[in-house]
Amino acid sequence: MAPLVQIENLRKEFANVRALDGVSFVVQAGEWIAIMGPSGSGKTTLINILGGLDTPTSGRAIVDGTDVARLDENGLARFRAEKIGFVFQQFHLVPYLTALENVMLAQYFHSTTDEGEAREALGRVGLTDRVEHLPGQLSGGEQQRVAVARALINHPKLILADEPTGNLDEANEGIVLKLLRELHAEGHTILMVTHAASIGQLADRRIDLAHGRLATEHAARRV
Amino acid sequence: MFARIVGQSFARNPRRKLLTMAALVLGITVATATLTVALEVGDRMAREFRSLGANLLVTPESDTLPLEIGGVDYRPVDEGAYLQEADLGKLKTIFWRHNILGFTPFLDVPAYVSATGGATTLIGTWYDHEVAVPDGTTFKTGVSATHPWWKIQGRWFSDAANECVVGASLAAKYPGAIAIGKTIYVAQTEKSSDIRPLVVTGIVSTGDAEDNAILVPLSVAQGISNHPGQFRQLFVSALTKPADAFAERDPKSLTPTEYDRWFCSPYISSISYQIKQVIPGVDVRAIRRVAETEGRILSRVSTLLWIVTLAALIAAGLAVAATSAAAVLERRVEIGVMKAIGATNTSVTALFLTEHLTLALIGGAIGFFLGAGLARFLGASVFGTPASPRFILLPVVLGLAILVALIGGLIPLRRAARFDPAPILRGE
Ligand SMILES: Nc1ncnc2c1ncn2[C@@H]1O[C@H](COP(=O)(O)OP(=O)(O)O)[C@@H](O)[C@H]1O
Ligand SMILES: [Mg+2]
Repeated sequence: MAPLVQIENLRKEFANVRALDGVSFVVQAGEWIAIMGPSGSGKTTLINILGGLDTPTSGRAIVDGTDVARLDENGLARFRAEKIGFVFQQFHLVPYLTALENVMLAQYFHSTTDEGEAREALGRVGLTDRVEHLPGQLSGGEQQRVAVARALINHPKLILADEPTGNLDEANEGIVLKLLRELHAEGHTILMVTHAASIGQLADRRIDLAHGRLATEHAARRV
Repeated sequence: MFARIVGQSFARNPRRKLLTMAALVLGITVATATLTVALEVGDRMAREFRSLGANLLVTPESDTLPLEIGGVDYRPVDEGAYLQEADLGKLKTIFWRHNILGFTPFLDVPAYVSATGGATTLIGTWYDHEVAVPDGTTFKTGVSATHPWWKIQGRWFSDAANECVVGASLAAKYPGAIAIGKTIYVAQTEKSSDIRPLVVTGIVSTGDAEDNAILVPLSVAQGISNHPGQFRQLFVSALTKPADAFAERDPKSLTPTEYDRWFCSPYISSISYQIKQVIPGVDVRAIRRVAETEGRILSRVSTLLWIVTLAALIAAGLAVAATSAAAVLERRVEIGVMKAIGATNTSVTALFLTEHLTLALIGGAIGFFLGAGLARFLGASVFGTPASPRFILLPVVLGLAILVALIGGLIPLRRAARFDPAPILRGE
């Protein structure tokens, strides 16, 4: 079976910074990958290109058979709606929409809304009694769980999480990691950026970046 | 969901919109007020010019000054020149014939009236007379058109009958002998054998010399005085353009092009000139010049109001541009998030555009009502009576609000839709 993600010699240059400098790797469907490396090593850039938020300067990034470098603006929007579920460090919920509406927003941009399904997704992340709350009325951990529900709602091929626990206290970090572990167990493919080695160890595999290049790639210890 | 997003954005995130809304409300308030007042000015001008009645007086050239004492003309009947009734149809053949709204000939005749037992002025005129125009049509005119402010009690004489209308002061002097329905007898002098019975059909008050006279059909006055087909004065009501410097020029000093332009502007002077061309040997004088200057001021006020309207709308547009640029900047993360979860540029634009249109409609509606209130106040201080709200302006004003909101929001919204989500979502 073809790998779900296939990256070949990926380069990304900003004005005078080489953020990615020839990165290649593959990810099989169902894998949980931890992307690690020091600040500025290109982790976010890599995630953004895979998620169709950014385009590479050269190289290929194939996700589920689609080369994201070849997509135009509308193609990228469709790609993000159908194939990707994003989880950001800053949660990034729309502040004037309730938890439920934030999840339904993703349904709306994907195709049509289904309130029942959206409620179900929020129940799945343990927020049954928080659906009508606004982001401002939720704790950080709760907001991130809404973001996870939003990422899952359209059954994406790939979940991209950029330091999903970076803004959370230990208790909430535990809850979100437990969720990711469950998603992984259900067969979701997850690429997760993290600083903490302890979190990286939870993944199947680690990809280390340094100065935009692959440092080492080693199989993490299975927990 | 679309409506829900827009609705929640309004309900829960009103802060930024309030500024844009305030800009729109202010602009539309001023625009509504000025437009309402401008319409009022236009209406008043039209009304004033219409109610003006006659604004030109045509007399035979170098006529003697009237010798009038107590409303009675003591000039010998034969003195002075006369104008020909048969020429009047030509007035409807001049270039500005459609601006000739009406004309009325007058023939004052000293007469002996049975009811007063003495000399009384008869004024022969038309009330609603059919005039044959050389082109074969007819034109109905008379004091009904040129002197609309004359008040009649009872009814006017009919131009072909042996009827008359008596001036209010005169009628008041002879309450027994002169009353509606009574017949009076008139003749040129006490000794004339040509005595005519006239039925009084109405009492007229004009606030002028006619109040002491008897108004009769022109043909009756002509018959009594032996001046068939003649009259002495003609009042003309013409729709004219307020005079400007160009209007006062002597047509002889104009170049052919200037002459054409002057001839083709409905100035009082050019219409007078054209009247003299078809009825030679007359003097044409403008009367009621006060109203003319008033009209000139009103038309300047109205120009000023249009400029203020435009300025208010432009200012509102700029304010909308500034506030929506700030709003869009503040909401760029939100835009980035929407794009990250699959929104296209088009759907982001549609959302923001709808917000703008909603703002325009709400702001426009509020502005309309505030503006109507302001117009009442302005009208009261300018004209002495409040300008009534014009609901016909509501759709116009809403359209203007939408235009202003869209034009003002165009650049910020386009920029919003094209925000590159990656740098925004990095949160740097
Ligand atoms: N929009 C940008 N313009 C210029 N340089 C950028 C931009 N985005 C990222 N960079 C640079 O690219 C490098 C990699 O950034 P990033 O992918 O965010 O690293 P990480 O997520 O590993 O901290 C950094 O040096 C960063 O400064
Ligand atoms: Mg990063």
